[in-house]
Amino acid sequence: MNDTKTLLALFGDIDPAADAVEALHGFGIEDGDINVISGIPVTEPMLGRPHQWTNVPRLALGGALAGFFIGLFLSVGTPLLYPIHVGGQPIVPIPPSIIVIFEMTMLGMLVTTFLGVFLDSQFPSYKPKEYVPEISDGKIAVLFSCTKENEKKLMDMMVKLGAESVVPAEAQSL
Amino acid sequence: MAEMEGLYASENEHSEHLMLDPLPRGQMNAMVMESMHTTTWKFWLVAAILGAVVLVCLFGSWGYLISEGMGVAGVNRPVYWGIFLVNTVFWIGISHAGTFVSALLRVFKAEFRRPFTRAAELMTTFGLAQAGLSIFMHMGRVWLFYWLAPYPNARGLWPNFHSPLSWDFLAINTYLLASTMYLFLPLIPDLAMARDRSNGWRKKLYRILAMGFRGTEGEWTHLRTAMNIFAFAILLVMFSVHTIVSWDFAAAMRPGWSSTIFGPYFVIGALQSGIAAVAMVLVVVRGTMKNMKYFIRAEVFDSLGKLMLIISMGWAYFFFNDYLVQWYNGDKFTDILFHFHESGPLGWMWLLMLVFNVLVPWLTLWNRKIRRNPVLIFTIGLLINIAMYIERYVIIPISLTINRMPFTWKSYIPGVEIWLTLGTFAFFILLYMMASKIIPLVPVWEVQEGQMAHSLVKVGKATVKSVSELE
Repeated sequence: MNDTKTLLALFGDIDPAADAVEALHGFGIEDGDINVISGIPVTEPMLGRPHQWTNVPRLALGGALAGFFIGLFLSVGTPLLYPIHVGGQPIVPIPPSIIVIFEMTMLGMLVTTFLGVFLDSQFPSYKPKEYVPEISDGKIAVLFSCTKENEKKLMDMMVKLGAESVVPAEAQSL
Repeated sequence: MAEMEGLYASENEHSEHLMLDPLPRGQMNAMVMESMHTTTWKFWLVAAILGAVVLVCLFGSWGYLISEGMGVAGVNRPVYWGIFLVNTVFWIGISHAGTFVSALLRVFKAEFRRPFTRAAELMTTFGLAQAGLSIFMHMGRVWLFYWLAPYPNARGLWPNFHSPLSWDFLAINTYLLASTMYLFLPLIPDLAMARDRSNGWRKKLYRILAMGFRGTEGEWTHLRTAMNIFAFAILLVMFSVHTIVSWDFAAAMRPGWSSTIFGPYFVIGALQSGIAAVAMVLVVVRGTMKNMKYFIRAEVFDSLGKLMLIISMGWAYFFFNDYLVQWYNGDKFTDILFHFHESGPLGWMWLLMLVFNVLVPWLTLWNRKIRRNPVLIFTIGLLINIAMYIERYVIIPISLTINRMPFTWKSYIPGVEIWLTLGTFAFFILLYMMASKIIPLVPVWEVQEGQMAHSLVKVGKATVKSVSELE
């Protein structure tokens, strides 16, 4: 793998970036070797990229289930463990239990959704990464790996497709 | 930047819709960064005055309350819940603004929300902070707060989770956590933008907070998915919070409180004060922060004005429902209480509540020119918030004056609570002012995303605004 090189092509708009991705596919570069970095969410269909996998919904569901069971423990388990006998009142009344279970379910879901973003994106991560600050100014970076012998050819191709610059990607401190 | 200011100084020079008036992203970033960096001596003067008010009125008075005991407050039999609880309910109401504006309008894809979602979300977090403080003030011996924690303890107490106060604790904390996370998630890309354009301590701060965000496809996918889940789920939490707060009252067998419609009535009241407060904050932000006239345009006030009018109608509907059913049931003490509301020594408050909450919005907000006038929309928002504060005052201390034991009837005269109230208001404004200098108040990436989705299309002879579905 030492003969591979990562290049960063910077585009001013979505259309040339999408063309560049298509051209890279045509050149035989696989989706796994391409990444697109942008300052706004550019969806996969716009760029002709495969759907990105995310675990966030599954984590949210898991969190909701965990919250549900914690709520169940608080509203049903604790009164059974430490019963307070009040004449005419059940140990586990259902309507108030619904409130506690609902709040804990929502809390579990939202906390794990939030943490899911961190887990899936591997946040926080302060190690140097391939990036240029122009991206947050609206530029779109197409980051791709290629063999060293194709480097020049691909750089020319990116420029022809409208890249404002094509440079070897350097990991920099963010 | 001076040129930029000149360009956007006059409202007349703006086109109608922000979404149809795009600027290069770099320029928008620069405008938002400049609005954060630019502070005048007036800003620091106001901040210093507010800081002094917070120090004296909030922490000073609270210290006095703690050292002297609850006797220096006006709460006493029969009014045990005074302004402390009025403030709690009021601030929770204000906190509904952020979630409603941001989440509900996101769910319904209301495009006018884009430039001000964060300004509204900040209100949620800081509003809830004031509500939380007010609860602690109400406790009196606040250092014993852990006595409320439900764990088996040496005192032989086992506070149960089925108590309405436990519902409150869970709901408010869920909402506080959820709204803070919901504030932070869409902030990450803007923190990364700020990181790329900052130096010194700001660079360090934004670098830590942006957590290494670059904007890769994966990062955007995770973020967008999470924000969609949040937008739907947090709405349920928002509705549950104020409903549960209302049950603190409605679950009690008291005249004026025991009402099945209190849940939605409280929620609509929270939205009434919250949306009005958002409008007020936006007028101030637009008038005092640099470059904000580009982002916050008359169309925003126009849309918020329509929302305020609809919500005012909803509030009137629920108020009448609540009033009619309790009035019709013929309960002797409820009847006395209602007469006390309307013609008692504080009857003017009840009347003012109806005038400011119903009459003022209905007579003004149907008018497009009024809705688009920042000064007028601020004034109407202020009157609505005064009315909503009064509403809570009528529901809590005034209603507690009359109960089923006439020998205990006694009017509530607030003491140190007045200063504490001033303190919470000053603290809210101070926190907001400070945050406006650290956090990008405009979600630039959301604005740009919206601008990308909007275009003008010709339909027959008309040119109309069109929005593309980007997701």
